[in-house]
Amino acid sequence: MRITILNGEPVPATPFQQYVLDVARQLAASGHTVTTLDLRELDLKGCSGCFGCWVKTPGECVKRDGSAQLCRAVIRADLAVLASPVTMGYTSTLLKRATDQMIPLIHPFFVIEGGEVHHRARYASYPRFGLLLGAEGGADAEDIEITTALWKRTARNLKFRLVLTAVSNRPAQEVAHELTAAA
Amino acid sequence: MNSLLLLNGSPRGERSNSMKMLTRVAEGWQRGGGQAPPVLHLAQAAGFNRAVKAFPEADVVLLGMPLYTDAMPGIVKSYIETLAPRVQAAAAGGVNPALGFLVQSGFPEALHSRPLQRYLEKLARRLGSPYAGVIVRGAGWTMEAMPEQANRKLSERLRALGEQLARDGRFGEAELKAVAGVERFSALTAALLSVALRLPVMQFAWNGQLRKNGVWERRFAAPYGPAARRGNGDRRTPGFEADLNRGC
Repeated sequence: MRITILNGEPVPATPFQQYVLDVARQLAASGHTVTTLDLRELDLKGCSGCFGCWVKTPGECVKRDGSAQLCRAVIRADLAVLASPVTMGYTSTLLKRATDQMIPLIHPFFVIEGGEVHHRARYASYPRFGLLLGAEGGADAEDIEITTALWKRTARNLKFRLVLTAVSNRPAQEVAHELTAAA
Repeated sequence: MNSLLLLNGSPRGERSNSMKMLTRVAEGWQRGGGQAPPVLHLAQAAGFNRAVKAFPEADVVLLGMPLYTDAMPGIVKSYIETLAPRVQAAAAGGVNPALGFLVQSGFPEALHSRPLQRYLEKLARRLGSPYAGVIVRGAGWTMEAMPEQANRKLSERLRALGEQLARDGRFGEAELKAVAGVERFSALTAALLSVALRLPVMQFAWNGQLRKNGVWERRFAAPYGPAARRGNGDRRTPGFEADLNRGC
């Protein structure tokens, strides 16, 4: 399985950073092809809401930045693992900024899915998606639940399918196994 | 009278639909006896920095934003992270301003914004702030795309909410419900919409811009992988139904 890990830990050398590395190693050890994008090292200019990726350069951000690499790595994966510490009750700014720049992956046109208005798919297939959360910053159970609920909506609209949410207090090996089993 | 601080969390800044809506709420605040509030745009570095400093000094803060990938825009999360010291301040007995929010989305139904509403409610609790409520509104683009006359009812409801904020310190439930519009389409409406959305006329706004930019032929471009089949617009994402009922 092709697995892309989007590492949204903004600070290097934290326990969560180490945990993401451990999960990546476990996944690779099970024979999967793992690509890790450290978002803090990617040149992302942020979404300014211009809709250029929908109406000027369809499918690509008009800004020439790391978002092309990001979108390519996500859409070509079978499983995308989004990793981030939970701060102030939600995943990092780093991960959210990157996600805002993923809208080139979907189409502006509206369709009905499950009785709700959503965006039309641009690609034939989309990755399954797992959420790896770091609760070292004091996130409580409600924070994890709200964060998961928000990402479930994000996943639905980006055509991903959220298959697992895991918190970093669990053994990396166990989480890696569950991620691939669920995907 | 309490002081109000308006924070515009839209990456599009001053010309955004969020700002247009916040302006209506501010008009109502003044109708309710409040002073014209200062406005800071988080998308501008200077506005962002001033917003960090101004937060503890306001009595009431109203933070407005568009829904971006079903949550707050990155810039708003960035601002919220700067408030971490205020959580500690509140725990040590300090006082934080009352918090109200406005979330507007491109989707017509309000349901898309409800998980973010839950997050914002918790944020107010985290900061120990009196909670004024979250104004949720779908199809926010009508503020920009339609003449003022067509938005008259919406504008008046937003003013009424601003007036309630000045008078009662929070938004009224009935007015919040009214401004939210449709929560979820009925099965019949959704089925009719599903058919109607296949008509090119329903996508006229996007098609018009694509044509103007000379890229209409490339509208289904998929630069990073195999494209979705044409005409599959109404096809459900695999696993969608299962996902609806999952506990993850």
